[in-house]
Amino acid sequence: MHDITLIQGILLVVLAIIVGLDAWLEGLFIFRPIIVSTLTGIILGDVTLGLVCGGLTELAFAGLTPAGGTQPPNPVLAGIMTPVLAYTAGVDEKTAIGLALPFSFLMQYILLFYYSSFSVFMVKADKYAKEANIKAFSRLNILMLAIVAATNGIVVFLCAYVAQSPMRHLVESMPEWLTHGFGVAGGILPAVGFALLLRVMMKKELIPFLIVGFVFASFIPYSNLLPVAVIGAAFAMYEYFNNQKNKTLAPAAPSTSSEGEDYSDGI
Amino acid sequence: MTESKRVLSKKDITKLAFRSTLLQSSFNYERMQAGGWTWSMLPFLKKIHKDDDKKLSESMEDNMEFINTHPNLVGFLMGLLLSLEENKEDRNLIKGLKVALFAPLAGIGDAIFWFTLLPIVAGISASFAIQGSLIGPLIFLAVYIGVFALRVVWTHMGYDLGTSAVEKIKTSSQAISKSATILGSTVIGGLIAAYVHIEVLSTVKINKDHSVNLQADFFDKIFPSILPLGFTLLMFYFLKKKKASPVLLIAVTFIFAILMSALGVL
Repeated sequence: MHDITLIQGILLVVLAIIVGLDAWLEGLFIFRPIIVSTLTGIILGDVTLGLVCGGLTELAFAGLTPAGGTQPPNPVLAGIMTPVLAYTAGVDEKTAIGLALPFSFLMQYILLFYYSSFSVFMVKADKYAKEANIKAFSRLNILMLAIVAATNGIVVFLCAYVAQSPMRHLVESMPEWLTHGFGVAGGILPAVGFALLLRVMMKKELIPFLIVGFVFASFIPYSNLLPVAVIGAAFAMYEYFNNQKNKTLAPAAPSTSSEGEDYSDGI
Repeated sequence: MTESKRVLSKKDITKLAFRSTLLQSSFNYERMQAGGWTWSMLPFLKKIHKDDDKKLSESMEDNMEFINTHPNLVGFLMGLLLSLEENKEDRNLIKGLKVALFAPLAGIGDAIFWFTLLPIVAGISASFAIQGSLIGPLIFLAVYIGVFALRVVWTHMGYDLGTSAVEKIKTSSQAISKSATILGSTVIGGLIAAYVHIEVLSTVKINKDHSVNLQADFFDKIFPSILPLGFTLLMFYFLKKKKASPVLLIAVTFIFAILMSALGVL
């Protein structure tokens, strides 16, 4: 049983900000529990504890990937809170993994909320893009990164230093429908993005290809869209070769050029 | 002639590889990586279009469209498309290629990095760490620094591929951009089925032994993914015909999702 000093608390906040940003960007992968727990162990002055917690947590989290768009329990909070709980509560490492899970869920919910609500910033981004306003566009991106960084710092400060048990109660009292609702929203929101895409590209000549791609992907739910792209490539080749053939048969035919016009503001 | 068009140096492309780390800066469910994708390339787009704000704004607007690809491999796509942009290729060609390539690249990246590399490296390094050995996290770190460094390789590869293809593209640019549009449309159809998830949880009770699960027994029997398609077309209708603002649609969708979850429908 140990207490965490203020200095250690602050160092954990710095760690959380750095690895939290890395987790958001999926950059250097220093956000994985094996790295985060080790560094947490160093901050707490017990490297071995950090290493053991890191190894165990990493194994527990290796199968939980964000691939395919689902957000797994947050690895940063798991990486920090597992050694912190083992250190402060004096429980063994395996028990600490379970105790750290609510904190991991808490961060997962916050990020899910951001993933949905940051959609609103895209309207601003569109506006700056239209104005070719590089400065404002960069500032907007930095703002979102800052929100993520600050959130990681604050949550870790609250969970690890200020109020461990109240935070756990908070997570445990969150209603199921709310947390599930975030997930549901995440599943539906891409529809708005695709609708925007369709608004720019939808030409009636292109509808057949859209239908084929959709039907193919609905009936052959494969882990990636490469097969759909290959089918699309087949259509594209067909179109291209026909086009070349027509060109050699009737050079500069007026029909080809007007047909080309139709695509001028396609996707 | 073509040589003079080149404004990006080898150093710029290396810089682009590092900047590709910003891909997910403004990640959100509506446009996914579009904001960070545009931001990563912004200094180079500016270098290409210089003071031509109209061209720059066109390019930025195109890049703000939905994209979701793999962070480790994205440099390839950025390099490829920037080489076309640098050559002032047809916008539809650039957009069509982007839409066609990002999703397959994401699938390949997920398969390599999340499903193969991570379990292997995590397994090996965790076995060291559990015994209290620092070698564990060090192996992990070394592997991922290597993976990060490969971004430079992918990015140059994409850019070089683009520059060598540019000559060929030029001779029949209209036909190619039309073909790219077709390829893009096919993939968008697939994207709707793959990325939009709506699953109805409700069951309708017929009698005390029988109940119909709306998703499995009704919607999936009519057509799988019919709800995602329907919802996407509904959003499209509101955008196009009703000129609804995307923010409103996002807010309504979000509230709708929470409400349906509370009611136990979704």
